[in-house]
Amino acid sequence: MSVRQLWEGSDEDNFVRTLSGSTKLSCLFLFSILMITVDNPRTLFILFSLTLISHVVAKTSIYKWQALAVLLILSLWGSMFSQALFYAQTPRTPLFVLISPTAGLLGQITDGLYIYREGILYGAVQGLRSASMMTLGLLICWNSDPRQLLNALLAWKLSPQVAFMLVTAIRFLPVLASETGEVITALQLRSNSQSGRTAVLRHLPYIAKPLLARCLRRAQTLALSVVSRGFFLATASKNRGLWPRRELFACICFTAFVVAIVGSKFIYLLSEQGLYFGFFRYVYDWTKLYL
Amino acid sequence: MLKINNFSYRYQSRKEFTLHAINLELASGEMLLLAGRSGCGKSTLIKSISGLTNDGEVGEKLGEIFLDDVKISSLSPEKIGVLVGTVYQSPDDQLFAMTVGDEVGFALENQGYDEAYIKDQVKQTLALVGLAGFEEYSIHKLSGGQRQRLALAAVLITKPSLLILDEPVSQMNPQGVVSFMELLRQLNEREGISILMVEHRVNELHTYFKRLAIMSEGRIIYDGAMEDAWQFLTGKTFLGLREPENVKLCRALNLTKLSSETEAVARSIQNECVLHPFEQNEATACVGQPLAVVKDLTFIYPAATEPTLKNLNFTINEGEILALMGFNGAGKSTLLNLFGGLTKVQKGRLELEGSHIAKALGKVGYLRQEPDLMLLADTVREELAWKNKAFSEANLQEFLQLLHLKEYANDFPLALSKGQRLRVVLGAMLAKSPRLLLLDEPTTGQDEASLHSIKKLLRNYKNNGGSVFICTHDVELASEIADRVLLLNNGEVLALDRTEKILANSDLLVQSGLVGSKLLDVSARLGLKACSTIEEVKKYVSPSTVGGQR
Repeated sequence: MSVRQLWEGSDEDNFVRTLSGSTKLSCLFLFSILMITVDNPRTLFILFSLTLISHVVAKTSIYKWQALAVLLILSLWGSMFSQALFYAQTPRTPLFVLISPTAGLLGQITDGLYIYREGILYGAVQGLRSASMMTLGLLICWNSDPRQLLNALLAWKLSPQVAFMLVTAIRFLPVLASETGEVITALQLRSNSQSGRTAVLRHLPYIAKPLLARCLRRAQTLALSVVSRGFFLATASKNRGLWPRRELFACICFTAFVVAIVGSKFIYLLSEQGLYFGFFRYVYDWTKLYL
Repeated sequence: MLKINNFSYRYQSRKEFTLHAINLELASGEMLLLAGRSGCGKSTLIKSISGLTNDGEVGEKLGEIFLDDVKISSLSPEKIGVLVGTVYQSPDDQLFAMTVGDEVGFALENQGYDEAYIKDQVKQTLALVGLAGFEEYSIHKLSGGQRQRLALAAVLITKPSLLILDEPVSQMNPQGVVSFMELLRQLNEREGISILMVEHRVNELHTYFKRLAIMSEGRIIYDGAMEDAWQFLTGKTFLGLREPENVKLCRALNLTKLSSETEAVARSIQNECVLHPFEQNEATACVGQPLAVVKDLTFIYPAATEPTLKNLNFTINEGEILALMGFNGAGKSTLLNLFGGLTKVQKGRLELEGSHIAKALGKVGYLRQEPDLMLLADTVREELAWKNKAFSEANLQEFLQLLHLKEYANDFPLALSKGQRLRVVLGAMLAKSPRLLLLDEPTTGQDEASLHSIKKLLRNYKNNGGSVFICTHDVELASEIADRVLLLNNGEVLALDRTEKILANSDLLVQSGLVGSKLLDVSARLGLKACSTIEEVKKYVSPSTVGGQR
């Protein structure tokens, strides 16, 4: 599978692909609120697992799973490792000493470098949040027709120009991925050393310019093409607002659930500030345990 | 149908007008080829006809464009879009949806039609462009030619009376061009759609159009019959148009009448020239020492069931230009990638100057199909000297001179014209003095002037002992610069011989998906040995003393 194919949307008939654009975007939005609200690592892990299960339901190909795994490992590991090193809040418990404060010049400059237990946990929470959103975002990206999302945004009365710009990014993702590969190859070919012919990382700083120039040209052509095909005509709006009733109902239920979660968290935070109400005792317990 | 009346246009950001008093008419059901160099104003004219200069991009307009007697300035681009369908150069840039059916139905959906009607129209339109039954296909699964047809279907669904095509065949191989042009001809004849095509490859398209308009510096400088244009083009090489080989032959033989038709050219030669149809001594090419040796080379991609390259054996000699030709998918790019070190040799030998290719990559320069992606620096000067410590200021000046880029030394490379951009990348490659230069379709979309510069550069490089392995579909280019031609078919060497021998063999060319030179027909008609280049024809025909020098 080529880099381009990796980022192309799936045309397989699956449950996620058949959902309307409005449902997908609503779910993405509500889920993001949920991820911000929840702090409990176990609940976050369950939510993260749900996003992975959704990929199983959508029959994500093995190559896409591999790409997803690389991205997830990098983001989770990066977040945990950086927080473990630089966690600044207290209390913090050093698990390992990487550089002792007494270890020469480096020790004096850094005042010691430690791996903090609380930092790992904090990094895991942050990492799970971003990993979950990335997993869900890729699920939608890989299983949506750009038109579907565009219609949803327009149905929500977003300006056609802004909606088009947002969706164009998804449309160009496969092209961009493929051209990134091409530019790196071109850089390898222009390298003056034997090792430069196979290196990738050393060429990364130079890829922006040719890619940007190509993207600008492509975006202009696409814009001309959709304008001349009547994209901004007002008559189209009547077909764009359709939201299947079942999906609408499911989204309303999900919204209610998210509102309840946010509400309970809010009430809990108020109790921590001294605004405590006895009849909310179960809510406080539940929030402390799971959220 | 279309009437452009004294139309001029100036972009707000520019002092000069881009279009100057354009007058052009296109009757209903007519086909017109609009040619001209890059930057002559063709794209601005297309934008103006499509109403895309009406608003948003504010500029100064003089004169008027009428579409079916209605002023275009009074219509919105969306309304014009229903009447005028525009297809751009690269289908990838204009397709928006995920499936073929959704893409074609996009325009009708935007007009608020109901689903059943759209479905029916999509089906009919796809049948019209030869994509019947492709409704549920992912656009990513289509070939390049199919995508271009899809882009065409996406605008045809609104049943436009005028179709504008902006260099739609510039990325296609010869057979793809023939197939696409036949489709356009059918649409024109059966559906009565007027067609305005912008393209500078007049040599390949002249048989499909009776009328040609030529633009230069924002003006229409010729508008008339295709066959009369050749006379007009005499002495106007600056227009950058690629003329048919028959016309070039007429010029080379000083014939009184310039024509692209085989029969007319043959008749003129018989009437005006002296034929020497006896066998000429075959020129023996001066063969240098083997530079690159390919022995029993086989390559198979992971997960593929069949090898892409099968047991290849050939050599590339010093100071030689070897052309690699064949169908798309024959394995040409894979072979070049092996030479360029982008793919590792699995089985067999691939050596350069006696060393394994992996240890000699510094001696290989590789120019890929999209030169724009290889431009990395802020100025032409920096680009030529990119990661090249041995490149001195004196070398730089010499190269700028050679590439005709002296006045652009401090310009941003990506802002240059297509031909100039290619020359910059080619120059950067040559600046490293490679022993072997690999070129993958370097002439795609290039005009005649740019082609001329590239040929000159390559010949110069070859004369200095360099070797070139060039992958191309351009038979005319191969016949002019290559010493030998290697035809690849399904991963195997179909033929490898001197250029004039291979390109004179029509059967071999057909088997390799190539379109033979028209000169073959002329030489056959004259009873001469098969000739694929003008120089060869001239061996058997003395130039006319009747016609003037051209």
